[in-house]
Amino acid sequence: MKGLNQFIVDIRNSKDIEEEKKRINLELNNIQSKFNSNINSYQKKKYVCKLIYIYLSGYADSVDFGLKESFQLVCSSSHSEKQLGYLALSVLINNDKSTQSTRDFLDSLLDQVHSYLIKDLQSSNEDTNCLAVQFIASNFNLPESTTVRVNEADESAPKWLELIDIVYSFVTSPIHKSVIKKKAAIALYSLLKLYPQVLISNNNWIPRLLSLADDKDYGVSIASIPLIQFVVKSKPQFVKAIIPAISLKLYNIIIENKCPEEYYYYKSPAPWLVVKLLQLIEYFFFLSDTNDYAVLSIADLDEQTLNNLRSVVAQSIQNASQPIKGLPNRNSQSSTLFQAVSLAVFLDASSDAINGAINALMMLLTSNETNTRYLALDALIKLTARSTSNNLSASPSIDEKYTKIFKLLYDRDISVRRKSLDLLYTITNASSYSMVITKLLDYFPLCDFTLKPELAIKIAVLAEKFATDSTWYVTTMLKLLSISGGVNSNGTNYIGNEVWERIVQIIVNNEDLQKKTSKLIINLLKKPFSSTDNTPIALSENLIKVAAFVLGEYGDQVTYMSELSTKLQFHLLYDAYFKVSLTTRAMLLTTFLKFFVKYPDEDFIPEIMDLFEIEELSLDLEIQTRAHEYLTLATHKYSQQLFKEVLKPMPIFVKKESHLMDRIGSVSHIVGVNRSKSLVLAKNISSNKSKAARGIDSSPILDENSDGSNPFEEESKPVVLSPNWYSGYHRMLHYDAGIFYEDQLIKITYRVIKEGCALTLKLTIINNSAKTAGTDITGLTVLNLESLTDDHDPNYVLNLKQLPESTFHDKANMEISVKIRNVVENHESPILSITFMCGGSFNTLNLKFPVLLLKTLTSTALNGLDEFNRRWAQIGELLGPQGESSQAVNLTHRYNSSNIVRLLSRLGFAVVHATSDETDNTILVMGAGILHTQKTNYGVLATLKSTDQVGKEFEVAIRCSGGGVAEVVAITMKEILEGKF
Amino acid sequence: MSIHFILVLNRQGKIRLAKWFNNSYTQEDKHKFVSDIHRLISSRDTKKQSNFVEYQSTKLVYRRYAGLYFICSVDLVDSELSYLESLHFLVEILDTYFDNVCELDLVFNFYKLYNILDEIYLGGEIQEISKKKILDRLAYLDKLS
Repeated sequence: MKGLNQFIVDIRNSKDIEEEKKRINLELNNIQSKFNSNINSYQKKKYVCKLIYIYLSGYADSVDFGLKESFQLVCSSSHSEKQLGYLALSVLINNDKSTQSTRDFLDSLLDQVHSYLIKDLQSSNEDTNCLAVQFIASNFNLPESTTVRVNEADESAPKWLELIDIVYSFVTSPIHKSVIKKKAAIALYSLLKLYPQVLISNNNWIPRLLSLADDKDYGVSIASIPLIQFVVKSKPQFVKAIIPAISLKLYNIIIENKCPEEYYYYKSPAPWLVVKLLQLIEYFFFLSDTNDYAVLSIADLDEQTLNNLRSVVAQSIQNASQPIKGLPNRNSQSSTLFQAVSLAVFLDASSDAINGAINALMMLLTSNETNTRYLALDALIKLTARSTSNNLSASPSIDEKYTKIFKLLYDRDISVRRKSLDLLYTITNASSYSMVITKLLDYFPLCDFTLKPELAIKIAVLAEKFATDSTWYVTTMLKLLSISGGVNSNGTNYIGNEVWERIVQIIVNNEDLQKKTSKLIINLLKKPFSSTDNTPIALSENLIKVAAFVLGEYGDQVTYMSELSTKLQFHLLYDAYFKVSLTTRAMLLTTFLKFFVKYPDEDFIPEIMDLFEIEELSLDLEIQTRAHEYLTLATHKYSQQLFKEVLKPMPIFVKKESHLMDRIGSVSHIVGVNRSKSLVLAKNISSNKSKAARGIDSSPILDENSDGSNPFEEESKPVVLSPNWYSGYHRMLHYDAGIFYEDQLIKITYRVIKEGCALTLKLTIINNSAKTAGTDITGLTVLNLESLTDDHDPNYVLNLKQLPESTFHDKANMEISVKIRNVVENHESPILSITFMCGGSFNTLNLKFPVLLLKTLTSTALNGLDEFNRRWAQIGELLGPQGESSQAVNLTHRYNSSNIVRLLSRLGFAVVHATSDETDNTILVMGAGILHTQKTNYGVLATLKSTDQVGKEFEVAIRCSGGGVAEVVAITMKEILEGKF
Repeated sequence: MSIHFILVLNRQGKIRLAKWFNNSYTQEDKHKFVSDIHRLISSRDTKKQSNFVEYQSTKLVYRRYAGLYFICSVDLVDSELSYLESLHFLVEILDTYFDNVCELDLVFNFYKLYNILDEIYLGGEIQEISKKKILDRLAYLDKLS
């Protein structure tokens, strides 16, 4: 566009801003008149383009026209004109935003563009589809933290839904190219952020969206990560379904070198994808349900997945430990390293692996690149803060490591200095605290002004946390206060009030410290810590504050020593009085009043009275008030009683957490840092059983609320089981091997292996379509293994031991292990959900399988019918009605005695007595067995008696040595016999 | 886990490219960000200081190429190096596309920059990471009239 280039040149050649403005105004007039005349579409494109340029050059306010022409361009059949039309819309419509809320803006934008977008989304031209999808993703995108929400009741809701439906169809359609798929995945993510309800009411979308992670096209993979993260965040129960695919993908890239050539960046295979995938998995470990229980733990991962992840992490760490040439390579490798290290802790990596990571990171600390030093520190902080066994502080040659880190306190970049301080804070432990604190105190005077408050608080917290010797603690803290005297250029103290207030709290709460501190503080006031270079240290306000309090309260405990006399104490404080700020003076006035009461005969009393008189005229309201009240008290014919009331000793502090933690800085955000328990303070606070302290500790309120429900569960419908699920379920009730499920595409066979309270379920998934159509099963995912037992005290625990391969031609195996912990109720059986693709169709199966107490039954040898009868009576005596349950059973076809005997033996009963098929009219079969749970075993006795003449009606009577268990077993027996639920 | 905006500023602070992925900003916010960020970044020492600096509870990741600062604002939890290298990736794409890119290319082809960005990033997320695929796609789009 020649005219455009000329215009830009002209603008750039303007001598000054006035000339530029003039030219712009001229052009604006010109464009406006052109728009009013008849121009062709090329000219339209050119003038709209000029308009955008003017807008972007800082003349946004002057561009108040051109929308009509932009819309005309959007309707053009030429791709480039359409493209420019959309660009113009997104630039020019944005203009109105400052006057309205974000929500109103989005609604009005939607109103204006909706019909155009729909038309382009429905076009048969994919390039046109792309433009509309891009417009959606770019202009309706808000951060995930947004509170802007579309609700069903909103007037605009149908329009949003229409967009979402079409975009969703692009994401999941098998016929669209990956270029539109990836754009649509991002656009869908933007739309769902605004309208999350859609995802909750469209449960069936989720498996399809999750399968995007496994897409062969890496572009689709990386573009769908935010969407997948969003889906899993709203439905955390799917987290286990998605991890195997992601870890396999990582494994293929990092270990198997399966990354396609075009996705290599220099020598690194798809570094951005790797980082994002690692980050996604790390995110999963942070997910928690509504009761703050972590959704994912390492025990939930099958062995293969865990091994894949561990190898990926180990390899990434190893790759980065070798010298790497070229900045792009180095950056890519390091970004993978940092992400891998961050994840390593969650994988319960071996200490070898962690030490490897620490060494690789320590090596990077001496790098010449500031970026690398900064990020290596950051990674070390995460690693040490999250890992439970403090690997870094326990690692070999730790002293050398400390030296390296201390050196970084003097780095050229302040961000590095701050990070190294954070790292020291995280790695300090009971064996190094004293050394670290000494070094940090030495560092204090040399430290940046902006870093001083943080440094002071870190020292205070570390000292409190690890102190074992109270004298050491007080000395250290007073030293901190005295060297941190002085103010920064804004006139505020280097360190916040929290520090001295905390010291006072601790002194009040620990009687043995009171005398000691008084001594120390007097000596400090007499002779401050001298700094190494002999420059006088500024008077420390914070120290005076502590002194004012401590000497006022406990100063009398040391006056028996002449060098610590009352008189001396008074003069030290009195000398400081006029050198300190008004707040501190107010505190000192109170101290002097305490002196006045405690030592009425000392010769400094008149000085106190004079001071009160002078300060009664103070301009400061607080000082004036105090002086006036204290003077009145002192000159009044006081009674000792009145003073006792006014100057009550400080009560013990009961609040458990320290305000210091509010100021600790960014380290506190890293999960795993738990430093609120104080050694010094803990003893007194815990012995002082106040209500407040218990209120924090005990948590019955929490327990009442935690009923284990997931709020999403309530809103979503329960899982709908696949048709024909029951025959497999029923078969598994009494047969230990057979067919679990079958349809045209797939057949699943099973085998149950019993071992006490542990059951192993081996499933073989057979591809039925291989023979008929020759197609493979692909993308097989175990979406969910939903156990319907209580989450927090489950009656049984499921573990996916072996995952089936996701792609196969013939068959794939999977294995689930079950541990029965307690009496499993009959409605608690789990649901296995799997999804797979076969010949382009996307299939979901939801199959229930029986996890029942009766499945743990093993036979027991009884000495004939007599013993059976004896035990039968015994249970009746012991448990009464609790021990027995009987059920009337109606069978669909006739059973004879041998049928019943076979059935009972199959279930695991030892048959003790059976009537004969030939001779007896009434059928009676008795059996005995043992039920196993992790907690205990139960003896169980069964009697089956026919109640008609043909063998179709029976009474099943069960007695069991556990209260209430008989009923559970009887109902299961009824279901087995009747084949109905 | 996303980019809030990408800015390309020259040393005088003139905007060469501004792509705002986060649509909650007002015009005023944008002006303020640009001038704040220019002041913040131009005062940093390229040799001694890192390429990352925190700004308004986000992280700025930036790098200077000749007279231009390429800057992106990402979440605090995001990987700095990954985005730093992504900026370099963008610069390499521009360099190939414009055949030795210089500041003037960006000035005269400002509208094309948006089309290029739309093939690499979208809605603040990384959309494609294969240089070949992006360049092929751009060549294909240029052929469409």
